[in-house]
Amino acid sequence: MAARLAEEWFAICGGCEVTILDIGEPLIDVLKQVEIVHMPVIMDHKLFGQTGENTEMDIPAADVGLVSGGIRSEEHKKLALEMRKKCKTLIALGSCACFGGVPALANQFSTEEMLEKVYRGSKTTEKDGIPHEQIPAMTDRVYALHEVVKVDAYLPGCPTTPEMVANALISLLEGKPLPALATKSVCDECPTKREKKAVSTIKRRFESPEFKPGAPLSEMRCLMEQGFLCLGPATRAGCGGSDGVPRCIRAYMPCEGCFGPMSDKANPMVDMMGALSSIGLDPKQIPDRAATFNRFAGAGRLRPTPRR
Amino acid sequence: MDDSFNPVIIALCCNWCSYTGADLAGVSRIQYPHNIRIVRVMCSGMVHPNLVIDAFTSGADGVLMCGCHPGDCHYQEGNYKAEKRAEAIRMMLADFGIEEERFRLEWVSAAEGARFAHVVREFTEQVQKLGASPYRTQ
Repeated sequence: MAARLAEEWFAICGGCEVTILDIGEPLIDVLKQVEIVHMPVIMDHKLFGQTGENTEMDIPAADVGLVSGGIRSEEHKKLALEMRKKCKTLIALGSCACFGGVPALANQFSTEEMLEKVYRGSKTTEKDGIPHEQIPAMTDRVYALHEVVKVDAYLPGCPTTPEMVANALISLLEGKPLPALATKSVCDECPTKREKKAVSTIKRRFESPEFKPGAPLSEMRCLMEQGFLCLGPATRAGCGGSDGVPRCIRAYMPCEGCFGPMSDKANPMVDMMGALSSIGLDPKQIPDRAATFNRFAGAGRLRPTPRR
Repeated sequence: MDDSFNPVIIALCCNWCSYTGADLAGVSRIQYPHNIRIVRVMCSGMVHPNLVIDAFTSGADGVLMCGCHPGDCHYQEGNYKAEKRAEAIRMMLADFGIEEERFRLEWVSAAEGARFAHVVREFTEQVQKLGASPYRTQ
């Protein structure tokens, strides 16, 4: 019997759904064993019946639930709870569902400040009203999925990797436990060469690092040592998959931290500021530290919450 | 100033100078406020900003970081590293909504028992003036 799969998307760009397509050939085998019962991005299954005749939300029961995107509105919250109720295994797909992702950068500001800026404050915007009719109320900040419902497995990444999605689906179909996330950091998997710990000035992302085109990556100097803000030391490994080489490094780019911090409690900003200041860098040079170092992990981190 | 408020202050003292200095204050019977909780570390240069931020987010009202005077470090340059990190810590405190004055970096040598007591007295008063940390639960 085919396994039933449900998918729902919240505050997300849709890139992680494209990743499912990107699985390539193994997808053909997976699809034979899977029956997709609910997936707004590809199928026309409406929540309140096909003509809106129902009053109760209806997501069919499923064996596997994939959820992408952070929770930004009351509608998302309800859908997340409903997905949890109907799915035996719930998987957070992509960095937005795992830690808020790019939409959670808005957590630096209150929802009111953010709406004011977007709809009225920005110079290029025609000062119009803030939309409020026929749309669900916004939550006070962006929440990661696990802050609202229990999550059984995480597939981080922006977007997540086809290999990880395929492995997770295949393990579930075969009744095996889901593959665990790496416990190492991106630096542990990075092949670049470290010379000595010294950074003079910080380079911006759009500047080009020094490397010989065509030469193996092991001949390129560590990007952090070259002055780029590489989030490797504070980011979970695994984006390289079986190849082992981190994705951005493969493209001669510094790590942006999309696989998230190595533990729930870790704060990449504190880790990175510590790392950079101890290799002799002036911390004042770092542009927009909170957002730069928490680019994908903003839920619960960008707006610290004193207990009192 | 609220005299009844008893702040919790964590002091991270390096093994070679400041902890010995604190020890000297003790054996010399110099009085200083009991609010301080001293944690001995091998070098001020090993104090990662994580430790300080964790102390604050777990409810400490103040954190004092003590090391050898510049040039006196047992490990040559640990305290210079501490100074750089302290700068980063001060910047980050604002991100966590904690007043900068709750954190202090001081140089105390092994012979400066009286100075250690003086620093603790002054810092405790300063933290008392600021009141309880926003992260404190009780």
